[in-house]
Amino acid sequence: MSPLLKCVELTKRFPGVVANDRVTFDLMLGEVHCLFGENGAGKSTLSSCLFGYYQPEGGHIECDGSPVKFNSPRDAIAVGIGMVHQHFVLVADFTVLENIVVGTHAKGWKLDLKSARARVDALCQQYDINLDLDAYVRDLAVGQQQWVEILKALYLDARILILDEPTAVLTPDESERLFHIIDQMCQRHISIILISHKMSEVMQADRVTVLRKGAVVGTVEIADATPDMLTKMMVGRDVALRVSRTNTADQGDVKKPVLEVRNVSYVAASGKSALTDITLTIHSGEILGLAGVSGNGQKELFEVLSGILVPDAGEITLDGATVTGMQSRDYMQRGVGLIPDDRFREGLIPEFSVQENMILGWQRDDAYTSGPFLSAAKIKENGGAMIDAFQIKVPSGATPVNHLSGGNAQKVILAREFSQSSTLLLANQPTRGLDLGVIEYVYSQIIAKRDQGYAVLLASEELEDLLNISDRIVVMSDGKIVGIVNAQDSSVPEIGQLMTGAQAA
Amino acid sequence: MSSIDDMPTGQRRIKVERRLNPNASWTLAMYLIATLFGLGLTALLIWTSGADVLKAFITLFDGAFGSQKAWIASLAKATPLILTGLATIVAFRAQVWSIGQEGQVYSGAMGAYLACLVFADLPVGIYLSLIILSGMIAGAGLGIIAAILKTRFGVNEIISTVMMNYLIVFLLSYLIGGGPWTEVSSSVVYQQSAQIPDAAQLPYLFGTAKLHIAFVFALIAAVFCYVVLEKTPLGYEIRAMGFNPVALAHRGTNIGRTMIIVMAISGAIAGLAGVSEIFGTSHRVRVDTLYGFGFTGIIIGMIGGLRPLGAVIAGILFGGLETGALYMKLLAKVPAAIVPAMEGILLLTFLIAGVAARYKIVRVNTND
Repeated sequence: MSPLLKCVELTKRFPGVVANDRVTFDLMLGEVHCLFGENGAGKSTLSSCLFGYYQPEGGHIECDGSPVKFNSPRDAIAVGIGMVHQHFVLVADFTVLENIVVGTHAKGWKLDLKSARARVDALCQQYDINLDLDAYVRDLAVGQQQWVEILKALYLDARILILDEPTAVLTPDESERLFHIIDQMCQRHISIILISHKMSEVMQADRVTVLRKGAVVGTVEIADATPDMLTKMMVGRDVALRVSRTNTADQGDVKKPVLEVRNVSYVAASGKSALTDITLTIHSGEILGLAGVSGNGQKELFEVLSGILVPDAGEITLDGATVTGMQSRDYMQRGVGLIPDDRFREGLIPEFSVQENMILGWQRDDAYTSGPFLSAAKIKENGGAMIDAFQIKVPSGATPVNHLSGGNAQKVILAREFSQSSTLLLANQPTRGLDLGVIEYVYSQIIAKRDQGYAVLLASEELEDLLNISDRIVVMSDGKIVGIVNAQDSSVPEIGQLMTGAQAA
Repeated sequence: MSSIDDMPTGQRRIKVERRLNPNASWTLAMYLIATLFGLGLTALLIWTSGADVLKAFITLFDGAFGSQKAWIASLAKATPLILTGLATIVAFRAQVWSIGQEGQVYSGAMGAYLACLVFADLPVGIYLSLIILSGMIAGAGLGIIAAILKTRFGVNEIISTVMMNYLIVFLLSYLIGGGPWTEVSSSVVYQQSAQIPDAAQLPYLFGTAKLHIAFVFALIAAVFCYVVLEKTPLGYEIRAMGFNPVALAHRGTNIGRTMIIVMAISGAIAGLAGVSEIFGTSHRVRVDTLYGFGFTGIIIGMIGGLRPLGAVIAGILFGGLETGALYMKLLAKVPAAIVPAMEGILLLTFLIAGVAARYKIVRVNTND
């Protein structure tokens, strides 16, 4: 059988990098073909070329055995390719049906919502998707929004569906459901290109093509593959996976509480109760894990604990002193470091240089000024020292941060927050979207801080990582704490159930 | 979708790519092309008006920079424009989209005129200083109002500053058009104040040539803006606020306070432009002599690439164009309205050049 879609020796360059280097890839009818690789390996670039977003500089694409050239996604859609982006492309103030129909131009000038509704209804039934077509997208859960994206592609008669890290934003339950739908689509001869860097998902595919640094390492049948082998292909070396808890911090000495939060509540501007009656304590030398489906109050908790948001009720004490109602500057000066989850938006000034970002928040500190002026020499010296200490790969301290990879940008934040803080470290998703190597590095640095006696609050969507390095794990759902477990005695399923409220209900 | 069969392999083609680092000579080339292109379009306009294009340009540049006298007139014209350009830069670098420079110019003129009436008995040095200071405070005050409306009540600064421009110009029209500041001479009422006393006039730099000391103030203001923006913690905060206010606020900077300071500085500099024009050039408070400096300042700030030195250069260029326009109108019979059209054309071509400077053209082999 000849492949449905194929690219041969496809090459795509961006200024300074070869994102895809002579990539050859094919997709058979009805198969799930996984693109597997680290961040920056070229998975998303390849799929963007296949969907017509980018035009490759070398090589060519074949569809049904004949060469095609996609000048825009419109061309790709015309041959039956659909794509679901990692970040959804939906209009929040449109209904589900409107979102599916928008831009399809199927019936000339007139919008025929009636026949569209019939078609979408049929699709929903086919795939057992239960969606209110008249609901506004802004009111849907993330998992449901993804269904809308999938329906959009199916509505355009996609035969090939590209899913870009589809489970990044889903709960374990929603992910399972997604794979159920993927199964059904395959049975109906829809072929899937699945982009992922999660091993559990790769193993559900039929074949996998591993990419590293823009080039294909190899394509293997899943039946012949093992997770160890794929990991090795992905990183190009054996990995002793992840950091594990050292026992030094588990010795019996009495730890003093660093951060105490009592009955804290916060109501968002929208009127929604984002945090309800939160009570927790973090001790020195302790990593408190924070688990929860994203959007269940974790972000607000981090912002309240770093002084960005002022809680509406409750009390926060830091080293015994009440800090409730103080500003982020006060928290910083009391030794609180914050690693925000959206690093380019909340932690960095992307257009500023590495060394300028190293002093963000401390630009008025004597360490970086002389008299009323910024000291270029002090800022440069500090930047250089930080770049060395945290192994940041940059040409110089004067390089703008928006030229850095996610991992190096994250290291800039780590360097700043680790060196400026002294008691409490708040790390919200510090490893999101990073390579395995950098993830290990970030965790080892956090553990080192723990061993120095810091109190650490660490949120992650990777529950296994949380279980590995936390001492205790607090689980949030709907703005409330639904459980605090001892990491050593707990398991992923237990935490997953708490997260989704399965036990609370 | 097209088949690639008909495409020769190994074809070379031209591609536009984003630059990682700016290249000085490329940037210069882009601005040079922008200038030539702008002049070309202006030539087209002059040609359609039926005048001799070459003669028009020669008289324009002669009138602007052809003699010492022309230079002095151009620099005098440039003074308030440099100041309003700088006021624009301070606000826009923080991405505070203030359109209020126009109103702040009027406000500065009014504050200074009030001081001119109140402190008339003081010694000349103190008198002049108070006049200048009052003008700057009045300009700053108007800026601060917009900043507080934004930080306290979330009022968009574009809307509030535009509205205040109207309020201020009507207030001034009242004060000098029948109100307490109206010149009382004969039965005829002009919309203007009485002549400003000699003691309150800004001194000339070279004898009687009409270049007054505010030109030096404008240069000092340019240095001040450069130093504050590039060399101080406040400048760090202003620039950071322009790029990413969220991260700046999350890391402990009170951005509401930063915004108030930005608008105060911007307003004070714009206010100084009003003082410069009234007390240095027209020697009476009138609406028509003040009109447009604030709006042209926005163009100058943008053409200057939001850099203080750029504003000085663009300000002098525009001052020259406006001086030269008079000669061009007289000698080449070209309507003076060509000049504002030319300013607008140059703004567009310079903005395009600013974008083009960030890209490069490369030749690629499609089959390698």
